[in-house]
Amino acid sequence: MDGGSFVDGLMLSLQPINIFWIIIGGFLGTVVGMLPGLGPATAVAVLIPVTFGMDPVSAIILMAAIYYGAMYGGSRSSILLNTPGDGSAIAATFDGYPMAKKGQAGEALAISAVASFIGGLIAVVGFIFLAEPLATFALKFGPAEYFLLMLLTLSAIVALSIGKMVKGFLAMMMGLTLSTVGIDTQTGVYRFTMDIPHLSEGIDFLIVIIGVYAIGEVLYNLLTIDREKKEKKKVGRVWFTKEQWKRSKWPILRSGPIGFLIGVLPGAGGSIASMIGYTTEKQISKKPEEFGKGAPEGLAAPESANNAASVGAMIPLLTMGIPGSGTTAVMLGALVMLGLRPGPLLFEQQPETAWALINSMFIGNIVLIIINIMLVGLLVKILDTPSKVLYPIIVILAFIGTYTLSYSTIDFFLLLIFGFFGLLLKVMDFPLAPLVLALIVGAEMEQNFRKALLSSNGSFDIFFSSGVSIALVILTIVSLLYPLIFKFFKKRSRVNNPDQASKSS
Amino acid sequence: MKKFGMIVMLFLLLFVTACSSSTSSSAEYPSKNLEIIAPASPGGGWDLTARSVENVLSSQNLVEENMSVVNKPGGGGEVGWKHLESQDAHSLAINSSLVLTNNLLGQSELTYKGFTPIATLATEWQSLAVPPDSKFESASELLEAIKKDPDSIKIGVGPGLGNDDHLSIVQAASEFGIDPSQLNFLVYEGGGDVVTALLGGHVDAVTTSLSEVKDQYLADKLNILAVSSDKPVEEIEDVPTWKDQGIDLVFPHWRGIMGPPDMTEEEIAYWDEKLGEMVETDEWKKVLENNDWEGFYKNSGETKAFMEEQHKLYKGLIEDSGLVK
Repeated sequence: MDGGSFVDGLMLSLQPINIFWIIIGGFLGTVVGMLPGLGPATAVAVLIPVTFGMDPVSAIILMAAIYYGAMYGGSRSSILLNTPGDGSAIAATFDGYPMAKKGQAGEALAISAVASFIGGLIAVVGFIFLAEPLATFALKFGPAEYFLLMLLTLSAIVALSIGKMVKGFLAMMMGLTLSTVGIDTQTGVYRFTMDIPHLSEGIDFLIVIIGVYAIGEVLYNLLTIDREKKEKKKVGRVWFTKEQWKRSKWPILRSGPIGFLIGVLPGAGGSIASMIGYTTEKQISKKPEEFGKGAPEGLAAPESANNAASVGAMIPLLTMGIPGSGTTAVMLGALVMLGLRPGPLLFEQQPETAWALINSMFIGNIVLIIINIMLVGLLVKILDTPSKVLYPIIVILAFIGTYTLSYSTIDFFLLLIFGFFGLLLKVMDFPLAPLVLALIVGAEMEQNFRKALLSSNGSFDIFFSSGVSIALVILTIVSLLYPLIFKFFKKRSRVNNPDQASKSS
Repeated sequence: MKKFGMIVMLFLLLFVTACSSSTSSSAEYPSKNLEIIAPASPGGGWDLTARSVENVLSSQNLVEENMSVVNKPGGGGEVGWKHLESQDAHSLAINSSLVLTNNLLGQSELTYKGFTPIATLATEWQSLAVPPDSKFESASELLEAIKKDPDSIKIGVGPGLGNDDHLSIVQAASEFGIDPSQLNFLVYEGGGDVVTALLGGHVDAVTTSLSEVKDQYLADKLNILAVSSDKPVEEIEDVPTWKDQGIDLVFPHWRGIMGPPDMTEEEIAYWDEKLGEMVETDEWKKVLENNDWEGFYKNSGETKAFMEEQHKLYKGLIEDSGLVK
């Protein structure tokens, strides 16, 4: 790291105009993150014509602020309405929504904002000191390693569906099946597209998320709306308790680095980061049975991880010119238009631009936590909104969000189909996350599996050929066997404490 | 009944948005707002081409009517071009060789003959790159190794077979006397992923647009064995062309613009004039420079002949590649 450029960059990012863009971007990101379907990629894309007249440095600062701002915003609707705005906010529904149901909405919003903040800070510090070596490390990930990383992510399904394992795996299989729709990239063969050109690029997982969560949730509540008791939901405090902080502190500090590392890998991104952050905490927790029922650490961990991942995703973009996520891909296109080319030469030719961005992320996270803490009081009011007003709004937002994905009305049909499908799953008590998760990673997982075997001429040794891949295999096995290990230890502790065992049985 | 009401509302919403208005024609051209269709999502190459054209034409006051860019992504251009087919002459769409290859690969009913050629705007060049420590120092060494044992060399390409990245190497291989259907490809999601795979040593060589690898080459992160241009490319004059290495191959990766079927001669002449002026502006030259594109302007007549020639070339390449039986 080069001190002079660091200070130059800091000065640049502290210019009033750039502070202004950080605030605008952070606020805009929070808003689009909150709305189902409207994600940071769409927001950045819509802003491209606006950036034409802008200074390239301001443009990159604005776009990055939208990106990590959306990570803060994404969990707001997960917590309050059980409808994630994006793939990376799914994990926030697991414990965030139960917390809100218990009357802890305010605490949940506050703790997730603080977790995002700390995760973001950890990642910015990591960026400053580790950008170069991490970029090199990320390159070591070949098809075999990516396949194994995605397998590890899917193994999270075991942890997510304890108690209803069969349903969890069925939902996963449905997700994997849906992920096969579209052109097969290795051969160019069209699979299950039914001669609809629109389907040739596959089913966008965001439509499925909006469908099964937002529309599904609305439909499910319609079934019970007339029976709704007129009790006023308690909003409670707008700040978390000492006890909640004590439980969340370490999960936040652990998940930040995990999310950051996963974010650096091109193509992995926030969904995988938050999921691995969540399951890691669940598996090492002393009270795993509280996860899924409103454990604050189950919300804090994924929130810290996904925000750290969004900062990590800037590393391949800035150091190699390689976009690591949908949003950074759009950013790259826009920056090239402005004559700023992220890549191996950026730190040599325009170091102050690169450092301005890094410093702006530091400032941006401070701005965002202020915005988000101030919004807590306002957002919890959503819970007081009568369903008759709230649900139509959710439906409209869901349709708008879906339209912005590919500007096509065919997606509306898909949205409705998945809405009713989500309702069906809810009525039959299937977990939704395995379905969506499998759809998100399914296509890439399959392609990487086949690429790995193609490059090894069919030998399975490639999955055990590097330190990284062996580590991933071991982690996956541990993760899959975790319920058994968990049971084993429980049994042992029962044997050790026969009194307690007889009491509980 | 409330439930029922909500469901009815869902469907109403669907129908209202699904309906689109039709357009009317007029004698004077252009008589209303113009639109440029980018058959891709915002942020991609086609989208940036569309926005650049729109931006330069409006900001230089070449076109007085309002212009807008409309994104119609899907099916490798299919969705956007299908939409163009039903529009009047106030809509144009960005195209590239996919307008030829989609049909040749049997993926689309649309052909280039179903549209009015307007212009060819710019081109990029293709490149063949290897890791810096690769044992191959020239394109012919690499091709020689492929000839001996095709399975030993893995070539990275993206985002799909049948595109220019793929077909340029198919053409080079055939010129060298290799059966292109024997080539071993690993298909990645896009140009960026292909470069990552190369930098990480997961493939032996990659074929991709020059702009994806140029900066990496200047930073000594990889080596470019050949470019598909007719003469050396600025900034990297030391990289040989295919022709320099005795392989008769010039392969542009062009982008153009076309209109709906049956445009009148006046309408075509309008665009020949406006776009002819546009490519001479400094703003357009700046666009070319920022994107690492090269000016490749051909007016409507030249483009028509060029498309026919390209169609013939691609037909042969796709047959050689073994993608279509």
